[in-house]
Amino acid sequence: MTGIRRTGEVLLKRSGQALGVALAVSILCFVVVQRLPGDVSYRIAAGRYGYDLVDNAAAAAVAAELGLDRPAWQQFGSWLAALAQGDLGRSLVTSRPVGEELAFYLLGTLQLTGAALLVAILIGGSVGVLAARHPGSLVDHLATTWVASVRALPPFLLGLLLVLVFSVQLGWLPAVGHGNSTSLVLPAMTLGLGLSGLVARVTRETVINVWSSSYVQFAHTRGIRERLVLLRHVLRNSAVVLVPYLGAQAILLIEGVIVVESLFAWQGLGHALVHAVFWRDIPMLQATALALALLVVSLNTVVDLIVLRLDPRPRRAGALA
Amino acid sequence: MSDRLEVDHVKVTHHGTVLVETGGLVLEPGTAVTVIGESGSGKSLLAHSLLGTLPPELAVTGAMRLDGDPFDLADPDSRRHLWGRELALLPQEPALALDPTMRVRRQVAGGLWKAPAAVARRRAMTALDEVGLAGAAESYPHTLSGGMAQRVAYAAATIGGARVLIVDEPSKGLDAAALDRLAALLQAHLAGGGLLLTITHDLGLARRLGGQVWVMREAEVVERGPVDQVLDAPSHPYTRRLLAADPSRWDWVPAAPTAGEPLVTATAVSKAYPGRPLFHDLSLQIRAGERWALTGPSGVGKTTLGNALAGLCTVDAGTITRTEALRRPRLQKLYQDPALSFPARVPLRAGLSDLVRRHRVDGARISTLAGSLGLDEALLDRRSSQVSGGELQRVAILRAMLVEPALIFADEATSRLDLLTQEGTLRCLMEEADPGCALLLVTHDQSVARALTDNRLELGEIAEPATSGVRG
Amino acid sequence: MSTLSLLPLESRTRRRRWVPATILILLVAFALIGPWVFASPFAQDLSRYLEPPSLTEPLGRDEYGRSVVSRLAHATRLSLVLASLSVATALLLGTTLGTMAAWRGGWLDSVLRGISESFVAMPALLIVLLFAALAADGSLWALYAGLALAQWVEYFRVVRARAALILGSPAVEAAELLHLGRLHVVRRHLLPELRPLLLTLASLGMVTAILAMSTLGFIKVGLQPPRAELGLMITEAFPHYDAAPWLALAPVVVLFALTVSLLGLRRKEDSR
Repeated sequence: MTGIRRTGEVLLKRSGQALGVALAVSILCFVVVQRLPGDVSYRIAAGRYGYDLVDNAAAAAVAAELGLDRPAWQQFGSWLAALAQGDLGRSLVTSRPVGEELAFYLLGTLQLTGAALLVAILIGGSVGVLAARHPGSLVDHLATTWVASVRALPPFLLGLLLVLVFSVQLGWLPAVGHGNSTSLVLPAMTLGLGLSGLVARVTRETVINVWSSSYVQFAHTRGIRERLVLLRHVLRNSAVVLVPYLGAQAILLIEGVIVVESLFAWQGLGHALVHAVFWRDIPMLQATALALALLVVSLNTVVDLIVLRLDPRPRRAGALA
Repeated sequence: MSDRLEVDHVKVTHHGTVLVETGGLVLEPGTAVTVIGESGSGKSLLAHSLLGTLPPELAVTGAMRLDGDPFDLADPDSRRHLWGRELALLPQEPALALDPTMRVRRQVAGGLWKAPAAVARRRAMTALDEVGLAGAAESYPHTLSGGMAQRVAYAAATIGGARVLIVDEPSKGLDAAALDRLAALLQAHLAGGGLLLTITHDLGLARRLGGQVWVMREAEVVERGPVDQVLDAPSHPYTRRLLAADPSRWDWVPAAPTAGEPLVTATAVSKAYPGRPLFHDLSLQIRAGERWALTGPSGVGKTTLGNALAGLCTVDAGTITRTEALRRPRLQKLYQDPALSFPARVPLRAGLSDLVRRHRVDGARISTLAGSLGLDEALLDRRSSQVSGGELQRVAILRAMLVEPALIFADEATSRLDLLTQEGTLRCLMEEADPGCALLLVTHDQSVARALTDNRLELGEIAEPATSGVRG
Repeated sequence: MSTLSLLPLESRTRRRRWVPATILILLVAFALIGPWVFASPFAQDLSRYLEPPSLTEPLGRDEYGRSVVSRLAHATRLSLVLASLSVATALLLGTTLGTMAAWRGGWLDSVLRGISESFVAMPALLIVLLFAALAADGSLWALYAGLALAQWVEYFRVVRARAALILGSPAVEAAELLHLGRLHVVRRHLLPELRPLLLTLASLGMVTAILAMSTLGFIKVGLQPPRAELGLMITEAFPHYDAAPWLALAPVVVLFALTVSLLGLRRKEDSR
C-alpha cells in the first residue's frame, strides 16, 4: 500500500521535474537561437549545398522553407505545440525526421553510459571496499591519489591519454568509430575511469561508516559470522547511501558523454549535439539537448525507485536530488 | 568454581591514562550486579572490556574466568566465539542497534544463523512473543518506539541462549512504563538462572534489580555491596552525594511565592499531528511566580504544548494569550540540547555581547552571573561544542538571566545530564531566577517535576482536560 | 579525548594547504604578469616552426612559430578571469536567492525551487555549450553567462537547504526569543555557517568552470583559434606530440596545476 503510494509520489515528482526541464531547455535554446549572430539560414544552406555553391537567394529560400523568417514567439509556440504531439520536426541538415535520428543516437548513448557505469562501479566499488577494509594502507593512499587526480583532469585528457597508450603506442584498440565491440572499449573506459574515482571515495567512506555503525557492531556481538554480517547488513545499508549518490552523479555522466562521444566520434546524443551546434541545426539541437536533460531525469527516477526498494524508511525531506 | 563469571583484575588505559581499574567482580546465577556512576566514570568501559568490544586504541589488561575457563582480557578475540552463545550485550540506544533496512523478525532470527532458516524463524517468533512484540514481527525498526526497539534488541541479543547478559545504560530516553517492562525482562533473565551485569545511572533500576551494587567514580569502584546497604546506608561520601542528588531528596528548593498576575492563558486548545492527536480542549493559566510542570511519556506532545504556550508554534483550535509582561525578550527557553541553542561557529561571548548591546544590559553582569553560577569566565571564549553539557546549560541560564525573564520555559533541560549535574544546574536556575519569575518545566521525569513544581499537568496518550492542577 | 585528538590534525591540514596556495599564487602571478612580459600570443614566425625550448623562449614555439609561453600566460589569464567572474556571479545570485527562499518561504520558495529543480537536471556543460556555440564567434560574454547560469543552481540549493536548517534551529529560535534582531542572525548564525561551505563550493566551481572551458576549447565550440586557451592549445598541439612533446605538455601541466591547487585549497572535512 504505502509502497505503491511512495512510488507514485516519486513518479509524480519526477514527471513534474521532467516537464520543467523540457520547458527550460526549450526556452534556453530559443533565447540563444534568437540572439544568433551569423545568418542561420546561410549556415544551413551551406550545410546542404556546400559553402562554394551557396548564395543569398539559396539562404532566403531555406529560411522561408523552415519558417525561420517568422517572429520568434511563433516559432517557439509551434515548436512547443509540435513537441506536445511528439513531433520533433525534421533535421535542417539531413531533412530526416529528428525523432528517427534521436532514437538511433539514444541507443548509442545508452550503450556507452551502461558500459561506463559498469566500469565505474566495478573499479570504483572494489577499490573503495578494499580501501575501507584497510584504512591507511597502500591501497587506501593509492585510492586517495587516484580520486584527486581524476577530479582534476578533464575527461578529454584522460581520453587522449588512453588513446595514446592503447591505440597509438600499443595498437590494441581502435581510437575512433562506432559499430564493433572493441570500439566501445576506449570511450567506456574513459568515461568509467573518470567516474570511478568518485565512486571509490564514496564507497570507502560509506563502508567505513556502516561497518562502525551500532547495528553492525550489535550483529557482531550477537556472534554472527563476519561474512554474513557483510552480506546481510553492510551491503544493503551501504547501497542505501551509494545508489542515491550515483544518481546525483548522473549529471557528470551526461557531461562526460558529450565530451567522450565527440572525442571518439561515438554515434550518440552528445556527438549529435555538437554536430547540430556546428551546423546550426536547430530542431536537432533542441531535440538532443532535451533528450540529454531528460536522460538525467530518467536516471534519477530509476535511482529513486531502487532506493525505495532498498530503504523502508520514509524519505528525508530534500533528499530528492 | 563453575557456573559463574569471575573477573580477577581488569585495567583499561588510553595513552597511559587509567580509565578503569578494578577487580574481584563475580557474577552468579540469579544475582544481579549493577554498576552505577556518572558518565565518564568508566562504567561502560568496564562492561565492554569483559566482552572484548572496546575500541582498539584502548589498552586492556586483566583476566576473567567463565565456568572456570580462563580468558585473557588483553586479547579481544579470545571471547569472540562466546558472543551470542555465552556472552550477550544489550547495547545503548537500541533503536540504533537495529538494522534500519531489515524487518524485525528476520533481524532477531539472524542470531541463529547456524540453524535451518525455518527453525530460526520459528524461534524468533517465540522470542518476540515473549517480549510481547509478536505483532511487530514484520515491522521495520523505524516504526517502533524506543521501548519497543529495546525489547526487540533484547530478543535479538538473547536468542542465542547466552547466560551472561551485559546491559549498557538501558534507561536512556525511556519513559516509566518502558522502564518497567525492561526491568521485568531483566528479572526474568535472572529468574531463569542467568547472569546479569547492568550499567546504569538510574538508582531506581538498581534498586529493582537487587543483588549487588557497585559505585564507580573516576575509573575506580569506590563502594560495593548489597543494594540495600549501598543505597540506604552509604559509607563513601561520593555515594552519599550521588544519593542526595536524587530529586526526591532535594532540600534546597525555595518555597514558591504567592501567584501574581496571569502571564499566559490557554483556553480550550487542541493540536494534532497527522494521524496523532496530541491534546484536546485543554485550558490552563500560568501566573507570575508559579511553577508548572508538563509531564508524561515521550511523544505525547508536552514539548509541543510548551512551545504553543511560549508562542513558538500554533494550535489547531482554541486561543492562547500572553500578557505584555511576556513581550520579547521576557520569555526565555532552556533547551534539551544546549549546544544546539547557541550559534555553532562563533564563541559564546559573541552572542552574549550582541545581547548586551541590543538590550543595553550592563556588561559587568556577565561576570557577576558567571561567578554566582560557578562558571569559569574563560569558557565564554570557546564555542558551544567545546563546552560540556552541564556547563553549557549554565551558560544558557546565564544568557536567559541577562534579559530578566518573567517566564522560563525549560524543555527537558536536564534530561541528558547525570544526576549530580542535573541537581547543580537546576539549583543554579532556581537560585538565579527572580522570585517573581514563573517556571514552565517540560520533563518526562516525575521526580524532578514533583521536587520543583506545585502545578503539574500530566499528558497521557490522549490528554484529558480533567487532570489534577488544570484550571477550567 | 576527542577534542584533544582534533587539535594536531587541524594544524596538519592547515600546513598542507600552503602547498596548493603557493602553486595557485604562482599561477596567478604568471597569468597577471606574463602577458606584459612576453611577446604577443598571436605573432607568427613560420621560420621558427616547432622551435624547442631555449633560454629566450622557455617553452619553445608552436606550429605557427608563436611563443608558447606567451600563449600559455594569456590562456591562464583567460581561464582564471572567466572562471572567477562566472563563479562570483553564480555565488552571489545563488546565495542571495537561496537565503531569500529559506527566509521568506511561501510562494517565493516554491517558485525558486521549481526553477532550480529544472536546472539541476541540466548538465552544466550542456548549458555552456548552447551559450558558447550559438553566440558570436569568439565572444566571451556568452561563455561567461553560460558558466554562471550553469552554476548558480548549486549555490542556490546548498544555501537554501543549509539556511533553512539554520533558521529552523533552536539557536535561531533562542535568538528570536532574546529579541536579537536580523543582523545578529545573519552575522552570528548564517554567515559563519555558510562561509566555509561557500568557499568549498567556490573552489570546486572554479575547477568545474576551468575544465568546462578547456573542454569547449578542445571540441572547438565557442572558443576558436587563434585564441590562446588551454583546451585549444592541447588540441592544436596533439598532432605534434611526437615531434614537440613540450607543446602539449605545457598546457596540460598548467591545467592540472590549476585544478589540483584549487582542489587542495578546500578543507579536508569538506571534501566532496
